[in-house]
Amino acid sequence: MATDQDTAAMDVDTGSGGPLSSVVNWMENLSEAAYAYLLLVPAFFFITLVAFYPLLDTLRLSFIVEGARGTEPTIGLENYIDLLTGSALISRQVLDVGFTAAFPFIELGSPFFRQALFVTITFAIVSVLLETLIGFGQALVLDKEFKGRRWVRVAIIIPWAIPVVIQAMIFYLLFQPTVGFGSELMQALGIFGSTPLANSRDSFIIVLVADVWKTSAFMALLILAGLQSVDRSLYDVAKVSGASPWQRFKMITLPLVLPALIVAMLFRTMDAMRVYGIIDATAGCSTVPSLTCVVVDAVFATRQFGIAAAAAFFTAVVIGAFISIYLLFFADSDGGYF
Amino acid sequence: MVNTDSHKKSSRTGVSRRRFVQAAGASGITVGLAGCLGGDGNGNGNGNGNGEVDGVEDAPSDAIVISADADLTEIEDDIQEALWDAGLDNDIEIAMQAGDFETDSRRDQYTSALEAGRSSPDIFMMDSGWTIPFIVRDQLLNLEENLSSDILDKVRSEYLPSTIDTSEDPETGDLYGLPFFPDFPVMQYRRDLVEDAGYDTSGWDTTPVSWQEFSEIAADVQSQNEDDVDYAFTTQAAPYEGLACCTFNETMSSFGGAFFGGVENLFGPVGDRPVTVEEEPVLETLRAMRAMIHGQDDEHAAAGYEQIAPEAILQWREEEARAPFTDGNAVFHRNWPYSVVINGEDDAFGEDLGTMPLPYGIEEGQSEYDGLGGSRAALGGWNLAVNPNGDNIEDTLAVLEAFADESVMQRVFELNGNIPPIVSVMEDADRDELGTIGRYVDTLEYAGETTVARPVTDVWPQQAQFVYQEVHDVYTQTSSPEEGMSNLANFLEQTEE
Repeated sequence: MATDQDTAAMDVDTGSGGPLSSVVNWMENLSEAAYAYLLLVPAFFFITLVAFYPLLDTLRLSFIVEGARGTEPTIGLENYIDLLTGSALISRQVLDVGFTAAFPFIELGSPFFRQALFVTITFAIVSVLLETLIGFGQALVLDKEFKGRRWVRVAIIIPWAIPVVIQAMIFYLLFQPTVGFGSELMQALGIFGSTPLANSRDSFIIVLVADVWKTSAFMALLILAGLQSVDRSLYDVAKVSGASPWQRFKMITLPLVLPALIVAMLFRTMDAMRVYGIIDATAGCSTVPSLTCVVVDAVFATRQFGIAAAAAFFTAVVIGAFISIYLLFFADSDGGYF
Repeated sequence: MVNTDSHKKSSRTGVSRRRFVQAAGASGITVGLAGCLGGDGNGNGNGNGNGEVDGVEDAPSDAIVISADADLTEIEDDIQEALWDAGLDNDIEIAMQAGDFETDSRRDQYTSALEAGRSSPDIFMMDSGWTIPFIVRDQLLNLEENLSSDILDKVRSEYLPSTIDTSEDPETGDLYGLPFFPDFPVMQYRRDLVEDAGYDTSGWDTTPVSWQEFSEIAADVQSQNEDDVDYAFTTQAAPYEGLACCTFNETMSSFGGAFFGGVENLFGPVGDRPVTVEEEPVLETLRAMRAMIHGQDDEHAAAGYEQIAPEAILQWREEEARAPFTDGNAVFHRNWPYSVVINGEDDAFGEDLGTMPLPYGIEEGQSEYDGLGGSRAALGGWNLAVNPNGDNIEDTLAVLEAFADESVMQRVFELNGNIPPIVSVMEDADRDELGTIGRYVDTLEYAGETTVARPVTDVWPQQAQFVYQEVHDVYTQTSSPEEGMSNLANFLEQTEE
């Protein structure tokens, strides 16, 4: 009864006819779940707008091909073709591979570490792999009870707390001859040449090590969270059943930590694919070009917005592809949380 | 059952769905309106970024904001005084804002500011190396139409001509930037070490030597002091703008080589000039540098040159190259005048610091192209350009006109070592009053007369990247001089299309 009166009062208040009251009635009669979704619609709308509008606009921009000087831009796929065949007018190419008749059937147009796609993917795979292994090791140590554990935790987390530019300056100075010892040391060991920050391969390793040094702590933290949620009694049962430490790790720790591990690796992979800051502040984009470097250079140095947009969208696609691999592989795995 | 359930729920929440939607809708609209009306003072909060929102006026902008070097911001008060003394209305105040130290980053900052149509800063201090791209894109205020004809005449008749070239529209010849100071490098050396090694340095300050002779002297002096001094010569050869515009450009010019034929083609016409980086003088420059960096073991080294520069120069810019010299660990050092002031201070080397023009590859006049060969100093320098979106163009122009006064130039030279764009101001100044930099005016004058500009056009930012990367690859022995320059020619021809 009370509801009926309310509706009647509402009709009088607004003075409107049938349509409004029927919408209101429809709303009133929705189930709890449907009503909740209805209320979320505006938020979803804005999130979609914020997330996808830039992406779609970048896609639109990437089809605008700047012509030769003085001619009108045209619409087409040339930006993508130029990017993927190494003929874009940018100083470091995204991909520059030619095909040959003889084994191994492909040849590099520019050196491996001068091609942004290879640099980015190699960086992502190697850095995430190393960070996962080292982070896991750190997490296992931190999971143990021992004296001074708090201080060890602080020590492990400190690199993660250092701003990326400062960290990059540390490595930059370390490998600056006459300033840091890194350059001479590595040269004496025969690993680096005399000017590591001017050499693409050496610089790649420096950037890689810098990133691993910093972000292993992040992996350790996330994995530690997973480890701490493992029920300790499972280990007691395993011990009683005579399981070796390796078996305990393989049968208990790993499967239970896997969901947290996958999430951590997912985050790190996305981050690694977007690497830019640490490169810019150590070796520079011309020595170690990543995909983001190509975008930044094309926008700011040469103002080729079409090429920049195509490179940016391509980067998003590559990241999307990597994420899909994670989702596909682990969606059905035991304990997969996706 | 169902009725009871829903009754329970509604009594628990206490607010009907209808009331909730009404309330949420009303507060949403209120917040939205408030957000729009309360935009920031510049009227950018309303989302369209141009145009003021009614009723929200800009605070009266007091000072004319100049984005400039950090070291100039430190002498803001002195510059303000000098501007007032030069006849600027006493009501007009300036505020110096420090821009990014690195020229490439500074350019990126200004690109964003101008693309976005921001009203501040009012005056940009722009590198002469990248003012023209902004002019060609029509992003700066045309000074030809806005400055008084007296000032324009003065700039055209008295300013160093090469500084004006980089602040004019290459097609119409209209002035868009007021040259603030030119910059040209000199060779600095440790006079004490060189003289102890048996060389007479009298006359060196205005007499260049050849690169070959230079390498022999440098190697000899260093070998006589090898316990104390590690390097014979430090310069900049990292892959960055400075390699393209300056260190490589000037060395190549001193060998009689050029990017696009002679100096008359430096500022275009783009697409209608030859690409000449594959010519012999350019290759000879690279071979000489290979010899001076890697020694005669390098298969592409030019004969007769000593190994004098550490490989580390391949990752050095200005400050990294200056550090070993200032620390007393190098005999010769190529750099801009700012470093002469640092190295010539009494607590550094004082009178033991000598300067000389940069060495030459071939004698002047021997080059195929006019104006090349002989000692060549890359022309750096900075222009003052006006933001057309500024709030107070009239006062801004008054400030600019005051900067064109000789007394202001001389004050800035005294305080900060920035060379006046009217050379006679430097010549007429009392050298004792000038302090440290006064001892080196002769070399600076020589360098000022033998400058070579970088080929700045709207495509130069792109070309510069190719230049420094290919040249750096040759320097690092990644490619041979012929390969590198053939790649470069290929790129340059594409950008010229």
